[in-house]
Amino acid sequence: MIIEYVIMAVIAMSTILALVQRDLMKSVIIIGFQGLGLALLYQRLLAADVAVTQAILGSALIPGLMMVTILKTRRYQE
Amino acid sequence: MSADVQLWSFLTAGFLVIILFMDNLVKKIIGMMLIGDGANLVLISEGFKPGGIVPIISEKLFNGSASTFPDFASQASNSLPFALVLTNIVIGASTMAVMLGISIKLYQHYKSLSVNKIFKEGDI
Repeated sequence: MIIEYVIMAVIAMSTILALVQRDLMKSVIIIGFQGLGLALLYQRLLAADVAVTQAILGSALIPGLMMVTILKTRRYQE
Repeated sequence: MSADVQLWSFLTAGFLVIILFMDNLVKKIIGMMLIGDGANLVLISEGFKPGGIVPIISEKLFNGSASTFPDFASQASNSLPFALVLTNIVIGASTMAVMLGISIKLYQHYKSLSVNKIFKEGDI
């Protein structure tokens, strides 16, 4: 029971931290932690198949695509 | 716990404000992804049963906690929202890839990711 609240706190903290950063690369890495925490929460909510998909997409594919975008544009927010 | 998850995910959908006030395009895309995650969490917590089991049938299950099939059906969590959310996650990822590609094209044309500068330079 306490584990879910810890995971929810980690997700909320990482969301706020990612939207405050000036460096977009740091923000994208923190968004990867948010996706991983969301996958753990889905696994605690008895949805195993959704957890597997969210773990792959949210922690590897989406930050990868965003990193490619940042490398092709500029890294620091103006 | 299910009600707490629902409350928290409605708060996450309240990050809509960040889409309206963030200046950078990549951060706007991150905010749209957060709204989708909030909607997914609401749907997932609809199918959750406290003290339930994962809806996967195996041989070991019928020797253990659930002995018959109606017993299993009463204990297992509802698996219809899971299928819908699985579709929504994949569609959200592909939509986000299209949005990132459009923002790369905007940067190559206007040399900036800031929405204010794009609106100043273009006559929109």
